Amino acid sequence: MHWSYPKEGSILQTIRGKNVALEEQGLKLPSPTKTGTTIVGIVFKDGVVIGADTRATADQQVLDKNCFKIHYLAPNMNCCGAGTAADTKFTNDLVSSQLELHRLSTGRESRVVTALTLLKRILFKHQGNISAFLILGGYDVTGPKLYTIASQGNTDNVPFTTMGSGSLAAMSMLESRWKKDMERQEAIDLVKDALEAGVFNDLGSGGAVNIAIIEKGKTELKMEYSKPEREPKCRSYKFARGSTAVLNSSTVTVAEGDAMDTS
Amino acid sequence: MATQSLRIVPSSFPEGAPSKSVKSTANSFGVHDTFRLGVRSINTELLPSHPLETRLDQWDQTQTNLKLTMERRIYGIHAPIRHLMERSIVSRVQRLPVLPSSNLALDILMGKDETIEFEDFLNDPESSTEPMDVHVSMEHRLGIKF
Repeated sequence: MHWSYPKEGSILQTIRGKNVALEEQGLKLPSPTKTGTTIVGIVFKDGVVIGADTRATADQQVLDKNCFKIHYLAPNMNCCGAGTAADTKFTNDLVSSQLELHRLSTGRESRVVTALTLLKRILFKHQGNISAFLILGGYDVTGPKLYTIASQGNTDNVPFTTMGSGSLAAMSMLESRWKKDMERQEAIDLVKDALEAGVFNDLGSGGAVNIAIIEKGKTELKMEYSKPEREPKCRSYKFARGSTAVLNSSTVTVAEGDAMDTS
Repeated sequence: MATQSLRIVPSSFPEGAPSKSVKSTANSFGVHDTFRLGVRSINTELLPSHPLETRLDQWDQTQTNLKLTMERRIYGIHAPIRHLMERSIVSRVQRLPVLPSSNLALDILMGKDETIEFEDFLNDPESSTEPMDVHVSMEHRLGIKF
């Protein structure tokens, strides 16, 4: 709580006022940027597997081919984020710092519900203006826990879940293959296949597949667990040498001056 | 806001018609202080602000109000009075108004000492480059605008 010089009309208010006025005059304001992602999380026999693709997009452009979407929250917790990359990262960083301080204060392992409550509180406070759609997975004294959090602050406790634009493709894999008490490798394979379904069938998802396995006392990150390649194209689109006729050619010899020093 | 309200989050619709007074920006002659605060625009002050602005502005106040109301109903009026008195005492211990005060004691009373939130690192007054006038700040603080 700091005391500062009082100001009439905050900068936020002024910019908002300007935007409202411009919109009334017929200016089309930019629409929210379309985002795309596939993130997946499932519960298996002794833990939780969560995973994400690595593509970051802004509308039609791929801005980052290797974006890390599995955020660290606590040693026993990780959180995948879909939505605006900066929003998911900052929200997770804020909660991560609070959990760390809480652990230092209490000397106990953080519980997943604690992180869940902190996350949903931030998101609910901002009424969906923070675009973060998260999958929170962790292992605490109560066992493996998996939650999904939408940007409005509503949460679900689920055995398997997926978020992002590739969630429709990924969910088809999860719904057909998930079962109770899966083995570790079986679970990793299912998450990989679900993410690949998103990578191949959703244009907003792509790149590699990152996976985190959270079990009692240990968290394992598998970076680029699979890097799916597209099937080769049926036809070649390369032009054969000599397809373009050479109409004329000329050679210019530089007579004067020293050669450029390229050492 | 009603004093005994049990509201958890602020209302989406601010109560009453929007009103602004010249009092908060007036100089010693009782008119808007253009030299210090710039040209005044009623338009920007009264136009609908961002829907989130009032919510975030009143967030802490609403939650505190809820806590105090609950205290009042459970323990009687003395509990919130005592609580507010403690807050008022610790919030007086500050540096000169232009110097940032950490106000750790107040943070502890409000349960904010072990959290890091947006206001702790974004737009931090400590890293502000805005020139601060000690005299003006002191006048505002003590309510002496002669």
